[in-house]
Amino acid sequence: MELWYTHLLREKLDQDSLLVQGNRASALGALDAGVRFFAGYPITPSSEIMETMARELPKVGGVFLQMEDEIASICACIGGSLTGEISMTATSGPGFSLMQEAIGYAIMAEAPLVIVNVMRVGPSTGRPTAPSQGDVMQARWGTHGDHPAIVLAASNVVDMYRLTMAAVRFAQRFRTPVTLLADEVVGHMRESFSAEKAGRYRLSSGDFDFTENYSRPDLVREVHPPHQLGAFRHPHVTGLVHDETGFPTNDPQKSAEFLRELHDKVAHHRDELCLYDVKNEGRGRVCIVAYGSCARSARAAMDLAQHEGIPVEVLHLYTLFPLPVEILQRVARRVEFMLIPELNLGQYAREVRKMAEQWTTVISMGKIDGTLITPRELVDRVSDLVGKYENV
Amino acid sequence: MAQASATAGRLGSRRFVETRLGGSGGQGVILMGVILAVAAARDHRHVVQTQSYGPEARGGYSRADVIIANEQIDYPQLQGADLLVTLSDQAAKHYIGGLRRTGVFLYDSDEVSPPTVLAETYAVPLIRLAQEITGRSQSANILTLGAIVALTELVTRPSLERAVAEMVPKASLDLNLRAMEAGLALKPEEWRVV
Amino acid sequence: MTSALDRFLHTDRLPHIWCAGCGAGMVTGAFLRAAAKLDLHKDTTAIIGGIGCSSRAAGYLDFGTVHAIHGRALAFATGIKMARPDFTVIVFTGDGDGAAIGGNHLIHACRRNIDITCILFNNSIYGMTGGQASPMSQEDDVSVTAPYGQAERSFDLCRLTEAAGATYVARGTAYAGRELERLIRDGVRHKGFSFIEAVSQCPTEYGKRNPPKGAIAMLEDQRDRSVSAKEAAGMTPEELEGKLITGLIYKDESAPEFQESYQRMVERVQQDFDGTS
Repeated sequence: MELWYTHLLREKLDQDSLLVQGNRASALGALDAGVRFFAGYPITPSSEIMETMARELPKVGGVFLQMEDEIASICACIGGSLTGEISMTATSGPGFSLMQEAIGYAIMAEAPLVIVNVMRVGPSTGRPTAPSQGDVMQARWGTHGDHPAIVLAASNVVDMYRLTMAAVRFAQRFRTPVTLLADEVVGHMRESFSAEKAGRYRLSSGDFDFTENYSRPDLVREVHPPHQLGAFRHPHVTGLVHDETGFPTNDPQKSAEFLRELHDKVAHHRDELCLYDVKNEGRGRVCIVAYGSCARSARAAMDLAQHEGIPVEVLHLYTLFPLPVEILQRVARRVEFMLIPELNLGQYAREVRKMAEQWTTVISMGKIDGTLITPRELVDRVSDLVGKYENV
Repeated sequence: MAQASATAGRLGSRRFVETRLGGSGGQGVILMGVILAVAAARDHRHVVQTQSYGPEARGGYSRADVIIANEQIDYPQLQGADLLVTLSDQAAKHYIGGLRRTGVFLYDSDEVSPPTVLAETYAVPLIRLAQEITGRSQSANILTLGAIVALTELVTRPSLERAVAEMVPKASLDLNLRAMEAGLALKPEEWRVV
Repeated sequence: MTSALDRFLHTDRLPHIWCAGCGAGMVTGAFLRAAAKLDLHKDTTAIIGGIGCSSRAAGYLDFGTVHAIHGRALAFATGIKMARPDFTVIVFTGDGDGAAIGGNHLIHACRRNIDITCILFNNSIYGMTGGQASPMSQEDDVSVTAPYGQAERSFDLCRLTEAAGATYVARGTAYAGRELERLIRDGVRHKGFSFIEAVSQCPTEYGKRNPPKGAIAMLEDQRDRSVSAKEAAGMTPEELEGKLITGLIYKDESAPEFQESYQRMVERVQQDFDGTS
């Protein structure tokens, strides 16, 4: 299947030397992954995803809807999804909050869809044009009730393209909403992007291949038979707890079984869902665990620290949820400190601490002033930790 | 005294160069940054381009940052400027602090009051030249791009020309190409502030 | 006893949850008779309900049915209609679901004139949650959230939807089942956004606090207050005070329907696009 170039070649751009904005890359990734239905509502700093979809979807005969608000946007996406379309919406924190009830519905009704949240400083209107990672816990626990979540985090323009494709694939295979988190810097920056970069994702967690035989993936076995309008003869779809017929049930045993299966279908496939990359594996007393923009700071800090004679390991997480328990524990066993830089006050650090604190010291490094954490700041913190240790 | 373009002339061959372009709203600074980044991408180099957004961009000054490197760029924002270009006094005052001592400073000599910096400095009446050559002061951003390349060879001339042709509106392409040529024709040693 | 309409019902899901004397079954009955007349195809008809007593109707009907979230049935329906233009899409909603929490979606569905039929069961009360006031509760109506009488005014939903751009607007009552059936039938046939207010009764939650008492009296009240749109045209505002204007209120067959307009835009873009590549 032709990827990426399908759309850009038509604009007569030279595919070897593209400069692409992060938000635009996400939209192009969605198109290449087969998304043909988008409903959204404008919000900074995500709007370019919607704008690209408005331009591109009609060209490929897809549906683009600008709805009256974010609630309507995600509900229209669910409607599209129930007919078998791969649906997507994009938003930022305030809009993501409005979508939460419907995200729960999509989880319960097993309606696949992709939500891109380009995060900005909050709460409330906050700072629409400054980056943040304040919605990590909202992505995990934003909707009501006990539920699973698949949450990915993009750190650069290539990620925006490839992780949007991964989100589409996971949504289809697990029949559940998948959230891709980005931040204002990743969404708005432009980066050079070559065609060969768009293909295979070589990560420590395994290669993730998009280019060959990209087609609708098989469902995981825990998923109920899809009740698709127009395909399954005349199904009933509901947000009530239901059995495999699709109709509501109040039977305690059936309720528990169904809700358990919703969790299990994600938890049992962590090896497939958890994408990560380890740099300088086993070569430092400190491991910086990072995602999104902070992972870029971490990678730069690794080189800077190396230069200053301090070996540092970096664990770059592309999947935040399900929590990559295995790799976190493996790293925790071999390092003395896990340093977690975030553009929030330690939302993910708390998750890591729960997993890792019996083996290592987990240190949160939060920043909420709307600027990125610089490599210098990270290296200073690392030296501080290592120095402290030496003084003990 | 070092040769006139000692530092500036070497910027293009460095493995990692951080550039900040600053000006006031309406001067086309963001477009200037995008064109520079597109040209660098055309040269098959790694590029990250960021810029001021929203209220910041509509205030007294706006900026476009471009990092050009031979390897993958990790940290996406400027940690210091190797090249600072400013078209307004306010932008110059605001951004001068981030200029490395080993860097290069190019500014509009009519707009910016001469600063005291250790960096290698070039003062050119960029906006006035654009007005004289094309009749449109708005083409100063494209003239400045030409001047940057004349000064630093940060991107190749063919790539710059392609990027300009791609990014500016068709109706003003000829005018902008003239502005670019005028910038490219500048002789750095004539404008160096010593 | 089986009836010819059973083919449209999940008879195994019955009995329904509605109280004795509730109008929801009567409105649903009118819909079923209209569905039989229209010979709706089960595979290509999607019925979307929100949350509330009325919206539960979707769960008893043997079509493609969606029991959506509160207030958002029209947003779901918009997605379904755009993805599957060949579907007949019908929304069942109530006065709380459609006029309060879903009011914004209602006016925007009207504005788009998307080919969806919206049947709003108006019983002037939140029944399922235990008798709270709705935007359709009348002034002085007593409810558990307006224990001293409703101080707010209510909507005239037909005027609202007409002004918002709906191209088929009608009002019927549970009492006049045959007329309601006809209005629903014509609404489904109409190309564009059809809004049908079905005035209904809730003897349990509304009737126990407000006159008249009991389902029969409430149905008779619907009858007595009904004035046909034609008669109403010759009446003064004073004469129309407290009346229900019923029948077809507004129809416009010339306005462009959204899905078709979108499709034309797509075809134009694809033509231009193919021409240049």
